[in-house]
Amino acid sequence: MISKLRIYPGHIFAALLILALVVMDRSVDDWGTLSNGFGNLVSFFHDSLWPPDWSVLEPRGWPECTASSAVDFTCSTAWIGMIETLQIAFVSTILAMTISLPLALLAAKNVGTFRTSVVIRFILAAFRSLPSLIWAIFFVILIGFGTISGIFAMTIYSIGYLGKLQYEAIEGMNSLPMEAADAAGLSRFEKAIHVVIPESANDLISQVIFMFEYNVRHGSIIGVVGAGGIGYYIERSLFFLAYDEVLAYLIIIFAVVIVIDFISVYARSFFNDDRNAVKRPSWKAFFTGHD
Amino acid sequence: MLSRSESDIIVKLDGVTIGYEENNPLATIPSLLIKRGEILAIAGPSGIGKSTLLKTIAGLVSPLRGTIEVCGATLPKRPLRGDLGYIPQRLGLIRHASVMHNVLIGSRASMCGSMQIFTPKEAKESARNVICEMGLEHKIWEPVKRLSGGQQRRVATARTLAQAPKVILADEFLSELDDETMSHVAETVVRYARENNAAVILVEHDVSRARELADRLVVMDDGRLNPFISSTKTLEVKI
Repeated sequence: MISKLRIYPGHIFAALLILALVVMDRSVDDWGTLSNGFGNLVSFFHDSLWPPDWSVLEPRGWPECTASSAVDFTCSTAWIGMIETLQIAFVSTILAMTISLPLALLAAKNVGTFRTSVVIRFILAAFRSLPSLIWAIFFVILIGFGTISGIFAMTIYSIGYLGKLQYEAIEGMNSLPMEAADAAGLSRFEKAIHVVIPESANDLISQVIFMFEYNVRHGSIIGVVGAGGIGYYIERSLFFLAYDEVLAYLIIIFAVVIVIDFISVYARSFFNDDRNAVKRPSWKAFFTGHD
Repeated sequence: MLSRSESDIIVKLDGVTIGYEENNPLATIPSLLIKRGEILAIAGPSGIGKSTLLKTIAGLVSPLRGTIEVCGATLPKRPLRGDLGYIPQRLGLIRHASVMHNVLIGSRASMCGSMQIFTPKEAKESARNVICEMGLEHKIWEPVKRLSGGQQRRVATARTLAQAPKVILADEFLSELDDETMSHVAETVVRYARENNAAVILVEHDVSRARELADRLVVMDDGRLNPFISSTKTLEVKI
């Protein structure tokens, strides 16, 4: 007698886990190399990484720092690099939002036509098929080293990413306001401006804030290929094997990203539907876990 | 040339079958004529297809069979901009936007060009008048989501009236209202219809309320529209 075989979600997860372990085993030639890994990490940490070299927060030798001694850290490579990264993130997010919103409206099936939707989706997919780092290499080759390459790279990638988030939010919006506007005879253009954008505004704003947060994290890396930002100084320290400087830069990035993350969560909480019901986290709760 | 009575017909359904799937029709309406200035109520048990019928007349759902003519346009051709006002059962308001913004959508349909971004002063003035008529002047800049269910229903009605439509399709537009507000809103819509010679098609599950409001009542049952016959009042129905 054949008993009925029942498949539970746990079975699927277990099968996927086993499959992942098998694939990993096949990809690794020699598991023995792992045995030295921890020891290498400890000696690398003690010999090269620790303590972090905070001289990255001291003013550069050239050009001469004109700031007063209390704020002379603003002439440091860490400060200049981080500010440049934030500038790249800010400019590229705003440019991307300006370009991606009309594209997202055309790509959404409930606003655009079938043809525009297919074409725009293809363009957006192409933009985000390459990571921002690859776009940065492309623009560095095209227009040279510097912030402008970083801005172009991050903008292109953000258009692809933000555009997708936006058209999905627009397609998921409540269809009833559109039905009322449809029955009244409003044009596609009017529905987009007066119905779709106001109805999905909270989602759209929330996504832009998330994109800025994302761009700050990724903007730290694109400098490695010469596209501006703090990544440029990290790459320079790596070139000179100054890993303690690299660690200092990473700690600074980590601190800034944590603050931006928190501000982002806080800002986005204003645009949630249940903002009155959800209590916003306090600074204390954020760092300690207790209010 | 059309006779006087024929030219008075503003909504005409001929051999219409409604539903979402070809093999699962909800109802068939052999013939239904609605005159200008007439208030027609459709009653019937829930799930019978009353709301689908309204959506079909509004051009939001295609009929499975038959022809529908609204304001001289045969679907899928739409009536002129602003001529048809639809109040969905679940209102279809933009929740984050203000009362004014929502009502302006109606005003725009009657007063602005389709590519006009900025709303002219007259449209704003007209929206403000309808909002006041609905007794919501103190909530004019309030986001709709902060209003009560009854107030939201009044906003949806105001949006449709601001459109100055020739045909109003209202799906249970009086539910959730207290008695006083209900009679005020109903009176406003009926007055609008009488003054502007506009037709109103109401969907109401409450037969007694429907009878009070409407010139004609039809009951949707067994997949058909039937004339309503009561022992106290017999309404003349032409189906």
